[in-house]
Amino acid sequence: MLRKGIITVILIGFAVMLLQLFLSFNGNEDLNTTALHYAENGIEEVGAANLVTSVVVTYRGLDTLGEVTILFLTAAIIGLFLKLTREEKSEKREVRPTSEILQTAMKVLVPVIFLFGIYVFINGHLTPGGGFQGGAIIASGILLMFLADPNRKISHGLIAVIESISGISFVIIGILGIVLAGGFLDNHILPLGKFGTLLSAGAVPLIYIFVGLKVGSELSNIIYYLNQTQKEKK
Amino acid sequence: MVAPIYIIAAALGTAFTLGLLHKTGKTLPYVLMTLALGLMTFISLEWLLAFLIDGQKEEIIYTAGFKPPFSISLLMGKMEAVFISIVNTMAFLGSIYMARDLKNKGVNSMLIYLLLIMGLNVVIMTRDIFNLFVFLEVSSIATAGLLLIGGRKNAVSAGLKYLIATGTIAGFLLIGIIFFYYYAGSLSLDDIIASKESWISVGNIALLLVLLSVILELKPFPANGWALDVYQGANPGIGAIISASSATAMVYVLYKMMPLASEAWNYVIIGIGLLSFVASNIAGIKQTNAQRLLGYSSVGQIGLAVAIVGMHQWLGSGLMTILLAMLASHFLAKAGLFWLAGIVNKETTKEWGILRNKPVLLFLMGTFIFALLGFPPFPSFFGKWELIMSLSDLGQYGIVSLILIGSLFEAVYMLRWLGYAIKEDKEEAVNFSIHWEKFLPVGIVATALYAAGYFFGWKSGYSDWYKYMPLAFAAALFLLDFLPVYVKNSITLLGMGWYFFEMYTQYTGLKFVFFIIFIGGGLLIFLAGYYKKGKRVGFYPLAILMYAGLALMLEASNMLEFFFAWEIMTAGSYFLIIRGKKSMTHALNYALFSIGGAFLILAGFGITQAGKDGLSLELLYQVGSMSPYVFILLAIGFMTKTASMGLHIWLPGAHAEAETDVSPMVSAVLLKAGVYGLIITMISLGNQFIGGINIQVVLAWIGVLTALMGNMMAAFQEDAKRLLAYSSIGQLGYVLFGLALMSHLGWLTAISVAINHFLFKAMLFLAIGGVVLRTKTKYMYQMGGLIKKMPITFIVVLIGIITLSGVPPLSGFAGKWLFYNAILEKGWYLQGAVLFFAGVIAFLYCFRLIHTIFLGQLKDEHRKVKEAPFWLLLPQILVIVGIMVLSAFPNSILKPLGEVLYSYFPEGALSWNDQLANSIYGYWDGKMVLYVVVAIFASVFLWALIVTRKSQKVKQFNIVYAAERPFRPETTHFAYNFFAPFKKALGFLVYPGITNFWNRVGQSTMAGADALRKIYNGNGQAYVLHIVLFFIVVYFITAGGF
Amino acid sequence: MKFLSPEYISMAAGFLVILIGIWGILANKNLIRMIIGFSLFDTGIHIVMVAISYLKDRTAPIIDETINTQEIAKQITDPVPQALVLTAIVIGLGVTALMLVYAMKLHKEKKSLDITKFNDLKW
Repeated sequence: MLRKGIITVILIGFAVMLLQLFLSFNGNEDLNTTALHYAENGIEEVGAANLVTSVVVTYRGLDTLGEVTILFLTAAIIGLFLKLTREEKSEKREVRPTSEILQTAMKVLVPVIFLFGIYVFINGHLTPGGGFQGGAIIASGILLMFLADPNRKISHGLIAVIESISGISFVIIGILGIVLAGGFLDNHILPLGKFGTLLSAGAVPLIYIFVGLKVGSELSNIIYYLNQTQKEKK
Repeated sequence: MVAPIYIIAAALGTAFTLGLLHKTGKTLPYVLMTLALGLMTFISLEWLLAFLIDGQKEEIIYTAGFKPPFSISLLMGKMEAVFISIVNTMAFLGSIYMARDLKNKGVNSMLIYLLLIMGLNVVIMTRDIFNLFVFLEVSSIATAGLLLIGGRKNAVSAGLKYLIATGTIAGFLLIGIIFFYYYAGSLSLDDIIASKESWISVGNIALLLVLLSVILELKPFPANGWALDVYQGANPGIGAIISASSATAMVYVLYKMMPLASEAWNYVIIGIGLLSFVASNIAGIKQTNAQRLLGYSSVGQIGLAVAIVGMHQWLGSGLMTILLAMLASHFLAKAGLFWLAGIVNKETTKEWGILRNKPVLLFLMGTFIFALLGFPPFPSFFGKWELIMSLSDLGQYGIVSLILIGSLFEAVYMLRWLGYAIKEDKEEAVNFSIHWEKFLPVGIVATALYAAGYFFGWKSGYSDWYKYMPLAFAAALFLLDFLPVYVKNSITLLGMGWYFFEMYTQYTGLKFVFFIIFIGGGLLIFLAGYYKKGKRVGFYPLAILMYAGLALMLEASNMLEFFFAWEIMTAGSYFLIIRGKKSMTHALNYALFSIGGAFLILAGFGITQAGKDGLSLELLYQVGSMSPYVFILLAIGFMTKTASMGLHIWLPGAHAEAETDVSPMVSAVLLKAGVYGLIITMISLGNQFIGGINIQVVLAWIGVLTALMGNMMAAFQEDAKRLLAYSSIGQLGYVLFGLALMSHLGWLTAISVAINHFLFKAMLFLAIGGVVLRTKTKYMYQMGGLIKKMPITFIVVLIGIITLSGVPPLSGFAGKWLFYNAILEKGWYLQGAVLFFAGVIAFLYCFRLIHTIFLGQLKDEHRKVKEAPFWLLLPQILVIVGIMVLSAFPNSILKPLGEVLYSYFPEGALSWNDQLANSIYGYWDGKMVLYVVVAIFASVFLWALIVTRKSQKVKQFNIVYAAERPFRPETTHFAYNFFAPFKKALGFLVYPGITNFWNRVGQSTMAGADALRKIYNGNGQAYVLHIVLFFIVVYFITAGGF
Repeated sequence: MKFLSPEYISMAAGFLVILIGIWGILANKNLIRMIIGFSLFDTGIHIVMVAISYLKDRTAPIIDETINTQEIAKQITDPVPQALVLTAIVIGLGVTALMLVYAMKLHKEKKSLDITKFNDLKW
């Protein structure tokens, strides 16, 4: 009871704080200076039709690098976990066979899902979507594969290679930005191209492809590792 | 110059590359990672040097080629360079230390480690608050992952608690950040600071969320249970990085955020920091797990750093020096101790006794612990000094006392731990091997500590090479420690002798007296050192450390130098004391009283120099209205060293358990340091009144009671060395009383008693030490009849007690005679009566000393006892010569002393006529007294020889014992409980009220600590509760976040 | 009534979700439920972030044929919080995944998900 009481008091206290925060919110009349700059100069400076993409990939590219790193870290930590706890490798689990429908649907859907994922990240600078979204879609395909057959073998090595290569490429593009253009992760290392087309916005699509690949492989890796942890000795 | 962005690029590029190297073996990835860390370290140090030497200007790194606020920018300024240099260097050393662990756990562990460090670098450099959030998360997640590189139990649950706690904190931070974006229309820290006016009226909650989140990352009390669990559960290598690199980086983040806050916040932050400092150090007292102990200490130290950051407006330009000095000690020593914990690989602090086989490691541990406690010559000594002085300038005495109290608590558990390592009896010393790659980083950080200490000393104006010479001598002896005793003893004698002859012309007056006692006395006692065989590992550097402190104390011309010397002396004597048998607790008591006393002195100095230029000791003459308080602080501080009543409980054990020739060092010599301090205090501050009461009267009473209590306790002892120890307390009581008289005669008495005490106590401790050495017991009831076996020792003791008890003809009488003159002159008859009574009691214990040990029946097991070793006897004989000279020619010392004192107390001086001293109450001729007494003695002796010719010798075994075997054999010995009737009559006076009082203080502190730490109940959910509650409590305390 | 405008409603909803999330973290001893609470807490923050980017009668910051390129600034909502929320979501995902793995591991150790049982490190 005491615990409940304390928690209630805490929640009420916190609610008071949030209420004060809420009252300080007064809506927006117009874009603030930062957003205004992006709206007015985004096309010229970055050249991506999706302004969110401009912000994510170029203006705040370092954040994106950080967040890719976080996924990478997560995958690595889970991998470390697996290494530390796994006692015997590739022990087959006794699992109930999945239904025919799931297995067939998987075979049909996975290629489509992959294709869709790739489409989403390649067009990240033009349409809603981008590397993270595309990567997540691809990983969902991998998840579907595991759902259909938990003992399925996938080439973990390949995933790891894709993950690392795209990570390294991301960093190299960033460094090229210092060498060839204005700073780390500057997208002007490639011509901006014609606004609104696939080959526009300089390095943005390139980066998003690597981000997409990287996120896709990282999430797949996480799924793979999580699936592997189920094989631990009981 | 390599652009700082390459730090990030190198780390990320290497980390991603490592992902490819799962199958290439372990060495290549490890080498790559170390190279990357090396490169990061190189870049940061390159910048640091450029800032320090070339006056490099700070540089902004624009990412994506746009200016902030439109893109993320990093700043490489001087401070950033300092902090990333710290982070990267420690990480680089850590990677060497953890080579084996990292290789064992594979590539993933390496890349996680690398990314943690990268995250910290960005956190330090970034000027964008959302970017800060992202890279904070990078380092948090990496830390959680690194906890898996186990080695300790329960690392996984610690990891989960850490994730939940930091996740919650990050969530609150994010809410604050997004609202800042809303208010300021920008995420750039500089923009937000610049537009402070526009959001300050509405942005209080966002500010509260951001500031408190950053503070919570610094593990403030009480919302830090998760952090303590992490310190305990982590691999020691990781613990070192969390404590050294992560915490240091976060301190800088807080510093960076400070311009956001309004002034009122400073107080909140100071409050939070000090609360953490004090509370963590209290809670740490009960801790037995070594790593968790380090956790408590870490949390405390960082709390202090938070408080210092909060004081940025007070400290102004001095802030960074103080902060960095404190942090330098913290991160170097803490990392060193964590790494040592990994080498020792024992969970509880008691098990650290295995270090005893590795003197080098033990030395390193001592270095780290004394660095953490703020002893010279380490950076935190100067940091603490500057901090206390600055705070005193501002009149913030409350904060000063909190800081000092917290530091004292830290000393309790740190020194207890060190005591276990040096002395805990139970621990069997087993051999264990050390890998060089684990030892190397520890050695490097220890060296860095000394170097940093010199650097910060230089910053504080303590840099003259000759002030470090005595320390260098101690260090040299440490390096020569492999040599046998007689070589080291000779080197010591030569070194000190050279110093003696070099310096003795430099001093005049009272300083000269103390110079003779400290250095001359040191030489004399070192002569006895030849009696030891073997190597006597570690003795000489520590002994020299103490004498270095004493020598520097005399040389000190300002308060910083004095305090430096005082602390060096304390450290050295602590180590000397702990070398004795069963001395663990005594040494701890000694250290705690000394440190407590030193803090009082520090506070006194702080008040003294407040608002004045410089630090000269002369400032004590012009303290002004605060002078009674300064006087009390200094007097109590110095009285901890003179073991006045109430502060004496450390002395008996410390002196009695010490080695044979250490006892005279810590008794005859060391106690005089306190007297010297009292003299300085009284000369410069003079008579002081508080609330109409003359403090000197109080001191005089303390002196009187100390003398009475010390002498009574001495009379009731069974342990001969303990008897001498209590007798020291009594004698120092006389000294205190004499000084408190504040008159010419009083001071003359006090100083001559001090000189006499030095002489006879050195002699008696060496003599009794010799007896103990030969009979292998300290208990007097196990001795007896040794007069025939140890005749020279007998004569020495006889002369010693004659001097001590102050009967004619020896120099002790001069003290007595002067004393009664001084008392009469002052008119303090009641005090005089008590002192006289105490003097009578002194006869009792003196009698025991000679009667029980040397007279009576020789014990069967002592039939083959030999005279004490020559080298022990030599200094005793030299002292006898000295006593004889002083007794026959009292004016040889009292006259010049009187002339010195004349400048302070011109009234009531003695007038001298050859050896005839005249006071207004009478006269005294030392030479004549000597002749008369010797003549009487000789005639009585002759007469006795004549009349006892017919006496018959009694054989030892013509006594018939009862057939009963006593349960405690010693109770049947005639000398056991010798003064039982007196004890019955007066025992109530020695009821151990003071010891009980201090025991109760100790127990209640322990109980408080235990209650306090119960909030860390190990439940991750409770820890989150603490965090949320922390926000709410501060919210209400600040009435809505200012 | 200005509080009926979508940004206020979503912000209030976001705060509510945050509170529910905190309640979930604090009131449930089951680790999985705590982690769900944690996810809710994160989600609440994300909602608040989106609410801050909202501007009435405007469209997403993607410049296609429906937007008059001369007056972009008058037609789109703020892209920055949307970019931030993307980052925040990914970070939240990483943290949640890690928590789940740790919880799984702890469950293997003690066959329990009760957080109060993992208190071997304390005091």
